[in-house]
Amino acid sequence: MSEQKFEDLEKFEIRQQFGNWRELLKPTTEMRKGYYSYAALLRDQEYLNLPYPREWNTLDEDWKLPPNWKEIIINKMDELRRKYRSFQVFMDICVRCGACADKCHYYIGTGDPKNMPVVRAELLRSIYRKYFTKSGKVFGEYAGARELTEDVIKEWFLYYFQCSECRRCSVFCPYGIDTAEITMLARELLASIGISQRFTLISAAACVRTGNHLGLNPGGVVNSIQYAVDDIKEITGVDIEVPVNKKGAEILFVTPSGDYFAQPHWFTFMGYLMIFHELGLDYTMSTYAAEGGNFGFFHSFEVAKKINQKIYKEAKRLGVKWILGGECGHMWRIKHQYMATYADDTYDDALKVLEEPVNPITGTVFENASSTKMVHILEFLADILKHKKLKIDKSRNDHLRVTHHDSCNIARGMGLLEEPRFVLKSVCNYYYDMPDHAIREKSYCCGSGAGLLADELFELRMRGGMPRAMAVKYAHEKYGVNHVTAACAIDRAAIPTLLQYWKLPVQMGGVTELVANAMVMKGESERDTDLRGNPLGEYLEVEV
Amino acid sequence: MSFLGTLVGVVIPYVAAFIFVVGVLYRVFQWSKCAVPFNITTTSGQQYSLPWLNRTFMDRFDSPYTGWETAVRMLMEVFLFRSLWKNVRYELPGQTAVSTKWLWLFGLMFHWSLLTVLIRHFRFFLEPVPWFVTAITRLDGFIEVHLSWFQPHVVNIMVTGLLLLIALLYLLIRRIAFPKERTFSLPSDYIALFLLLGVVVTGLLMRYVIPVNVTEVKMLAQGLLAFNPPSNLDLHWLFMLHLLFVSTLLAYFPFSKLMHSAGIFFSPTRNMPNNPRAKRHINPWNYPVKGVDWDEFYENFKDDLDELENMGYVVKPEEV
Repeated sequence: MSEQKFEDLEKFEIRQQFGNWRELLKPTTEMRKGYYSYAALLRDQEYLNLPYPREWNTLDEDWKLPPNWKEIIINKMDELRRKYRSFQVFMDICVRCGACADKCHYYIGTGDPKNMPVVRAELLRSIYRKYFTKSGKVFGEYAGARELTEDVIKEWFLYYFQCSECRRCSVFCPYGIDTAEITMLARELLASIGISQRFTLISAAACVRTGNHLGLNPGGVVNSIQYAVDDIKEITGVDIEVPVNKKGAEILFVTPSGDYFAQPHWFTFMGYLMIFHELGLDYTMSTYAAEGGNFGFFHSFEVAKKINQKIYKEAKRLGVKWILGGECGHMWRIKHQYMATYADDTYDDALKVLEEPVNPITGTVFENASSTKMVHILEFLADILKHKKLKIDKSRNDHLRVTHHDSCNIARGMGLLEEPRFVLKSVCNYYYDMPDHAIREKSYCCGSGAGLLADELFELRMRGGMPRAMAVKYAHEKYGVNHVTAACAIDRAAIPTLLQYWKLPVQMGGVTELVANAMVMKGESERDTDLRGNPLGEYLEVEV
Repeated sequence: MSFLGTLVGVVIPYVAAFIFVVGVLYRVFQWSKCAVPFNITTTSGQQYSLPWLNRTFMDRFDSPYTGWETAVRMLMEVFLFRSLWKNVRYELPGQTAVSTKWLWLFGLMFHWSLLTVLIRHFRFFLEPVPWFVTAITRLDGFIEVHLSWFQPHVVNIMVTGLLLLIALLYLLIRRIAFPKERTFSLPSDYIALFLLLGVVVTGLLMRYVIPVNVTEVKMLAQGLLAFNPPSNLDLHWLFMLHLLFVSTLLAYFPFSKLMHSAGIFFSPTRNMPNNPRAKRHINPWNYPVKGVDWDEFYENFKDDLDELENMGYVVKPEEV
């Protein structure tokens, strides 16, 4: 991240723009720095066998589209509207009531009307009307229809990569129109003529090849785990062992690869390993299924499927009984709503070994995961803490005033809201919620989801993250909150930068980190710091 | 007058009703033909996971786990506009969002009034008038006023008719006066409102200002319904205007956003239970996609993986 950006805060302004429908029908193709994404690398397009691979540049006039690109898009749209009821229904029934308009954090932060969910959908809907509805064919722009041109394609690339698929608008829509769904389908359309975003595709290609988004070789994953157990020994004095690729373990543990070495993911990663050790869990990690997330999900159905299949295949190969998943956002949208559906015979194959998940420590049956056999770490920890299976010293988190950021995907694509709160309240003495409009199903996105964590989108991300930052600011001023938790790897990457940008003296990390902070391990040495090396006891002043 | 009467009173309504029925059925058929590849419920409340976890009464319906909970969620969307009830408005200077219920209020007012007015209109079509129509009409018109210009002088004010007008005016004014709403409103949004206003205003005029011959209206309505319309129609011009607006609205309906009334039932983010981990959803058009399987992975990273095997598949702290 470029440092000088933080100086710009004083100059920050939101230019509210209001136009009319005629202006909105005209494609915006101005590529402003901080708002447009880079074009995918040829290397990744070729590796993933994507159609029409080529080198192209977002800033170029000519995007080198295939000669019959228009026909491809129209045919693909026709295919998608049959394949996805959501597409056809969402295209047909929007009444433009505008309940969604100021729910989008990108609209709030940029004031650009094309970032209103209703208008974002209109970018596609206007084309749908023109080619698939009678009124659009007959009345043209008076019916809100417009011709498909190269400029429209550019506009799509610009604005469908200014949506983080957070679904906040979908909560407020009286018909449940889900812009995430529309964005996903628009990206699918773009992919069909060889237009992909660099950041998502780098991660997706790395994940297909190495099993994780960071592109770590199996040796790299093992090294990371090595560092983690070394660090844990240094901090706690406890020797712990981490099984990797171990056949016959009861549980396969899968977590987003950011946890392997990014900051502050690292402390959460250590947290998992410490807790599993303390519980004596019979588990294994995997270098093949080393990634919980799936950046293919931000590209297309096929790339998502390519990445998705690994977990069930690995579960079968290792012969585990069930799967435990770490803290991640879009990963859990997929695990909850897509994973078992994506999987075809790999699922049936995996069923030969998988069983209904049962917590071996408490005996709790995870009935809500009886089909996919995959349990969220916070469901697991909530169950463990409810049954008091860990020795917890809450005072070890007394230097923190904690608040929780509900990550979009697990809040609105899963409904996991109380688990993190129960866990946090079990391990912290000082927990405070942010205001109602900023938490639970109304939670604001960190501004960097769905492939928007790319560096080139820095300004958009800081603007989109503004509502979240302001809610944290409120909690900081009212309760002295100095620590935000979030059960999402993208949050852990995005929010520290966001807090720095908005000059808030607050640190952030995962939920499990705080459990591990408070956990008293058997045979541990005297502890006077938390996992980050901050002194225990006194209120922690975080440097801005 | 008879030709015009037949055209406006019989031909146009029949054509409009035909377009309406066939059009709506066609659209609904189209939607139902589309596949639903994934369970994409939007969860707006705590999921069902651990039975002892705090789950409020409304969480059950905002994040339904069972079929009946999902049905209740749908009913609340349709009859109470549950999602719109949650509406908030973001206030930039204060950097906070505050609850706003105006759209919910006027939206609900419009839809419920429209339903009541429609039910009241049954009295033109059905003989004898069913008890619930009489009851609703009596309840709706509990206010009696004296209008000197009208025959009969004593008239019952139908509250819903007036509410309908007020709500429509609000829905129109917000599109004109509020900058955000003005920005994204399309001509078709105004067309729907103007058609509805046309229907309502002509209806109210007949009720309170310019009386028309109700017996004749009734004969026409019952004749139309029995496919035996009366001949030699001599219809009042205001009534014909009313009928024209209604016919236009009906014919326009299947091609417009008014289809939301049927579409809401097909919305996959609302009509599916939040149980995809407990019950696997099947994608009817799913097809296999080749990825990297273990053997290929092993070939690519043989050295690393063999070393892991030598470690006994366990990572331990390094001996210092």
